[in-house]
Amino acid sequence: MEPTRSPMIHQPRTLNELSLLFQRIEKPLLWAGGTYLMSKSEYYPSPSNRQIIDLAEIEELKRINRTDRYIDIGSMVNASSLLSAGKLILPSILKSALGSIIGHITRRQITIGGSVCEPESRVAFSTALSVLDAQAEIRQWEEGRFTATWIPVNRLYDKDGSLLLRNTAFVLTKIRLGLEWGDFQRFVLIDNPIRKPDTAILVAFQATRNQTALTKVRFSASFPKKAFYISPELENQLSLLSFPVHPDRVNSISYEMVHDLTNRHESITEFQAERTRRVFESFLHELNIQTLS
Amino acid sequence: MKLECTIDSKSLTLHVSSTKPLSLMLIEDVGVKSMLSHCRGKACGNCIVLVNDVAVLSCIVPAFRLKDAKIRTFETFQRTRLCRDIERAYRATGNKPCPDCYPSKTLLIESILTELMSSTRSREEGTVDEKAIMQELSLNTCPCMDATELLAITIQAFEYRRRRRGTN
Repeated sequence: MEPTRSPMIHQPRTLNELSLLFQRIEKPLLWAGGTYLMSKSEYYPSPSNRQIIDLAEIEELKRINRTDRYIDIGSMVNASSLLSAGKLILPSILKSALGSIIGHITRRQITIGGSVCEPESRVAFSTALSVLDAQAEIRQWEEGRFTATWIPVNRLYDKDGSLLLRNTAFVLTKIRLGLEWGDFQRFVLIDNPIRKPDTAILVAFQATRNQTALTKVRFSASFPKKAFYISPELENQLSLLSFPVHPDRVNSISYEMVHDLTNRHESITEFQAERTRRVFESFLHELNIQTLS
Repeated sequence: MKLECTIDSKSLTLHVSSTKPLSLMLIEDVGVKSMLSHCRGKACGNCIVLVNDVAVLSCIVPAFRLKDAKIRTFETFQRTRLCRDIERAYRATGNKPCPDCYPSKTLLIESILTELMSSTRSREEGTVDEKAIMQELSLNTCPCMDATELLAITIQAFEYRRRRRGTN
């Protein structure tokens, strides 16, 4: 039986048209790639009749722009075009994150803005973007107009990985990446976060090697539907290390990290914590090897 | 909403909910027999169709994105020469997918062949990135075949496609 309700669809072509729609429509549902929205169990048939604003026609949101200091990626750029357009300009950690999405069929459909705003952090972008100190341009709808602010990607989520702005009317228009990246970048995804959210982990690490020390250390781990983990204390601790680090010390740091992780996020399983520990440990061992060679 | 599109070479006007997934439209409104499952966007990889000649997972394409689209399911794809390359590879390797995932795996292989043929290096030198192909093939979750068997089929089909394009 066809449901009687069919949500009204609006397809603005510019950000100005989008703002006019925000004036007219109360609590519209913004549609980017749709991969998250369509995977929700209550998606169809849905009793909700929220009007939908499809962002696919807004050209301003599909641009990639590189200057001397940064790269701006429009929120409607899909993973596939970013991967092919940006092989020469993207940091390796972001390329790994983009490549970790199974299949070009899925990559063509997932947009960078949609995945950053997706409330269950199942896709790898946010984890990679947070260690790259990426900023998101957020246009919040307040008092009848858009107000643009830049927010670091790692501040878009609470400790459980939920989007902090989820109850606010806003549009993510672009992601900005600085061009100073660390020379040690690693991204590891284990298990498919969409199919196996209970066991999947996403881990990203970036640092600049400076003789035996590390600077600009960034570490982030995500657990779909459970947690978004960043720890400035851990990053400071790693910055104070002098490499090579004794294997026993590597081991103890990794257990300290897991202790902190599981203290803050009780929903993470032992299995996921152990996986994260081993991945983290492997990064430190790799740094040891690179220092010694 | 009123949706005008072409499905398997037939021009249709459908009255569907604007958010209805393409996979459900094909099952309920068009009666496509090769479309057997609707996983509700869980990425099982069993609902691949071609929209404007590009492979998509039909469970995550809503009706409102299909205005004037040309949709091709396995039912018409199996009558094309492109499909023969893949069927020949099934015969040559002695393996083929189970009836449940046969349409999707075939269209998945076709989408990989299209990507390979669009790469000048792969097309001219016949080189393939086996790891990348294995990752692409893992999109379909039906366990009826081993990944290495599917890889062998894909490489064989690619060889047939290259030879055929070379003689055209």
